[in-house]
Amino acid sequence: MGKVVRRTLVAGAALFAFSLAVDAGAQQTVKIGVLYPLSGNAASAGNASKMAIELGADLVNKGDPELAKLMPVAKGGGLSGLNGAKIELVVADNQGTPAAGQNQTLRLITQEKVVAMVGAYQSGITQTASAVAEKYGIPFVNPESTAADLTERGFKWFFRTTPVATNFAKAYSDFLKEQKAAGRKADSIAIVYENTEYGKSTSTAIADLFAKEGRNVTMKVPYSANSTDVQPQVLQLKEKNPDVVVFISYTSDAILYTKTLKSLNWKPEIMMADSSGFNDQAYVKSMGREVEGLISRSAFATGKPGSISAICEELFKKKNDGVGFDDVSARSFQGFLVLVDALNRAGSTDSAKIQAALKATNMPADQMAVGYNGVKFDDKGQNTLGSSLLIQMRNGEYVPVWPKAKATADVVLPFKGWTK
Amino acid sequence: MTARRLLQIALVVVVLAYPIVTAGSPVWQRLGALVLLAAISASAWNIVGGYAGQVSVGHAVFFGIGAYSAVVAFVHLDLPPILGAPLGMLVSVAVAAVIGVPTLRLSGHYFSMATIAVGELVRVLSSTSDWLGGAQGLGGPAMPRTVFDLSFVSAMPYYYIFLAVLAGVLGLTWWIERGRMGFYLRAIKDSERAARSLGVSAGRYKLYAYMLSAAFTSVAGSLYLCMFGFVDPESGFGILLSVKILVMAALGGAGQLFGPLVGALILVPLEELSNSLLGGQGAGITFVVYGAIIVIIARFLPSGLLSLLERRPNAPTKAAPVNPSPASGHAD
Repeated sequence: MGKVVRRTLVAGAALFAFSLAVDAGAQQTVKIGVLYPLSGNAASAGNASKMAIELGADLVNKGDPELAKLMPVAKGGGLSGLNGAKIELVVADNQGTPAAGQNQTLRLITQEKVVAMVGAYQSGITQTASAVAEKYGIPFVNPESTAADLTERGFKWFFRTTPVATNFAKAYSDFLKEQKAAGRKADSIAIVYENTEYGKSTSTAIADLFAKEGRNVTMKVPYSANSTDVQPQVLQLKEKNPDVVVFISYTSDAILYTKTLKSLNWKPEIMMADSSGFNDQAYVKSMGREVEGLISRSAFATGKPGSISAICEELFKKKNDGVGFDDVSARSFQGFLVLVDALNRAGSTDSAKIQAALKATNMPADQMAVGYNGVKFDDKGQNTLGSSLLIQMRNGEYVPVWPKAKATADVVLPFKGWTK
Repeated sequence: MTARRLLQIALVVVVLAYPIVTAGSPVWQRLGALVLLAAISASAWNIVGGYAGQVSVGHAVFFGIGAYSAVVAFVHLDLPPILGAPLGMLVSVAVAAVIGVPTLRLSGHYFSMATIAVGELVRVLSSTSDWLGGAQGLGGPAMPRTVFDLSFVSAMPYYYIFLAVLAGVLGLTWWIERGRMGFYLRAIKDSERAARSLGVSAGRYKLYAYMLSAAFTSVAGSLYLCMFGFVDPESGFGILLSVKILVMAALGGAGQLFGPLVGALILVPLEELSNSLLGGQGAGITFVVYGAIIVIIARFLPSGLLSLLERRPNAPTKAAPVNPSPASGHAD
C-alpha cells in the first residue's frame, strides 16, 4: 500500500516537473481569455460566439488559402507579429451571471495568465468582467454588448468593436437621406417601440439623432410587447399616415403588427425595423412573404460569392452543423480579429504594448467580415466606424441592400407588403 | 476538552490567516471571501428559515434591496456605496413587515409559495423602474474614488470585512438561540399550535425573526455590490439566488449556528471549481454536478451535514435520542 502511494507521488512529481519543462519550452503560444454564457438563458448565443472565435483562432493558427488572398490574418502559421506564436484560447463560462463573469475573469487573468480578454455578450457581465481586467491592466475586447454606459466609465483597457444604438440610428438616417435625395417621400417619420429597456433606449437614440440630422419624427408610439391587440396603435398610424415607420419590436409583437397592418390594409412608403423580432427566424418564416420590401438591419449579411463574409460564413457553417453566422456570432468573430490584428502589430505579449496597439487600430472596411465601415477606437474605447448593413425582405428572405459596397441587390421601394 | 479547545484555536488561526496564506493566488483568496459572503446571507436566512422553520424562498428580495440601496447611494446621491447599507436594512425591515404580516399567517409550503411570488413580483417591478436602471441594471463606481468605495484589487480587505460581519451575524444568532426568543422560535418550529397554546405569541416572534433575517440579508446584498460593482434585476432579485441561499443553509444544517457556514464552505468552492474546470466545455456540466450533489444530500442527509457530527456521540451509548437538542454544546 505504502509503496503504491510512494510510486504515485513520484510519478506525480515527475509529471509536474515535466509539465513545467514543457511550459518553459512552449513560449510559442499566446493565451487569450474567452468569456461567454455557455450555460443559462443565453447559452445558445454564447456557444455560437465561442465557436466563431474558435474559427478565428483556427484561421490564425492553421489558415485558409482562399481567405488568405483577401485577409493577411488568415495565412496561417500563427501570429505573424510574434514569430508565428500560436493562439491558445482559454474558454470560460460566465453562466449568465455578473458574479461568475467576474470570478472567471480573475481566474483567466491570474491563473491562466491570458494576455487579453474577449467577451462577454450580456452588458451587465461585460461590466463586471471588464472591471477586473481594468484593475489588472489587461486589455478587454468587447465585440457584442451595446449598453451605452460601458464606454463611459473612463476605462483605459476596454475596447468595444460593436456599433451601439446611435450607430444604427446614423445608418437609418443616412439611408433615409439617400432615399429622399432619390425623390422618395420620407418627410414624416413614426417610431413604434415596445416600452421596456430595449425599445425605450433604442427609440430615444434614434429620435435624438434624427432630430440632430433634421429628419422629422412626427409621432412616437410606445406599446407593450405582451399586448394581444395592436389595432389602436395601427389605427393611429393610419390616421396620421406617416411616410416612414420604424418598428422596434420583439418577435410575437412583430408578427402581431404585421397581421394587423394587413387586416387594416395600411402601408407606409418605407417600412423599417430595428432587427430583433423582425430578424428572428420565427418571424421570417411565418411573415416574410407578407412584408415584401421591409428594411431591417444586421451586422452580418452573406456578401457576394468570394467576398470575405461569404468565405467566413462557409467556414463557420462547416464548424456549426450547417448553421451560418448570425448577428451576434459574426460580431464576436470580428471583435476577435481586431484583437489578433492588434497582437500582430504589438509584436509582444506585454499588456501595455497590446493596449497601445489596440488604441492605434485602424482597420479598413474592406478587411471587415461584418458590415462595419472599419474599426478605429475613440478615447473611450468605442469603435467609431461601427455601422450596420441594411437588409431588405425579398421573397421571404433578407438580402443586403445598403450600403452599396456591400449590397447584393438594389433597394426596391416603396414598401410592397402583402400581395392579397 | 483541551483537545477541543486546541481545535477551536487552530480553526480561528486558520480562518484569520487564510487570506495571508493564499496571497499568492488571487483566485483562492477571493474564494475565501466568496464563501464568507454566501455564509452571511445563508446565516441570515437561518434565523427565520432554520430556527423558526419558516422556509422563505424569496430572500433575494432583501439581498436585492441591499444591493440596490448601495448602488442607488452611489448613482443618485454620489455617496460611497456602503453608505447605502443602513438604508437597505431599514427598507428591508419595512418590506419584511409588509410581506410578513399577511404571509406569515400561512403555514408550511403556502408560506414558501407566497415568498416566491413576492420575490418574482419585486424582480419584475425593479426591471420596469428607470430610477433603478430598468432591465439593464446599475453599476457602482467604475474606479475607486476613495478607500470608502470599498473597491479593491485584492480580495483580502473583502475577506476581513465579510468575516467581521459574519461574526456579528453569528454572534447575534447565538445570543438569540440561547435566549427566550430562541426557545420560542424552536417551539414554533416544532408545533406552532402547541407553542400558541402555551402562550407564545407565535405571529409576533415569527415576524421579528423575519425582519431580523431580512436586515442581515440586505447587508450581504450591499457588500455584494461593493465587491462586484453591478446589480441588475436578475442578479439582485432572481429566484436562483433565493434558492442558493436556502440550499446552502439546508446543506450545512438549518437551525444550527454553523450550518449555513458549513453549507457555504462546501457549495461555493464546489460551484466555483466545477465551473472553472468544466465550464469552458459548455453544455452546463457545472449545474449537473451541482444538482447531483444537492440531490444526494437531500436524500441521505436531510437535516444537513452537521447532523453527521451530532449523531456520532449518540451511537455508542445506544441511548435512543428522544429529542436531539439542536443547541447542544451551547445550552450548557
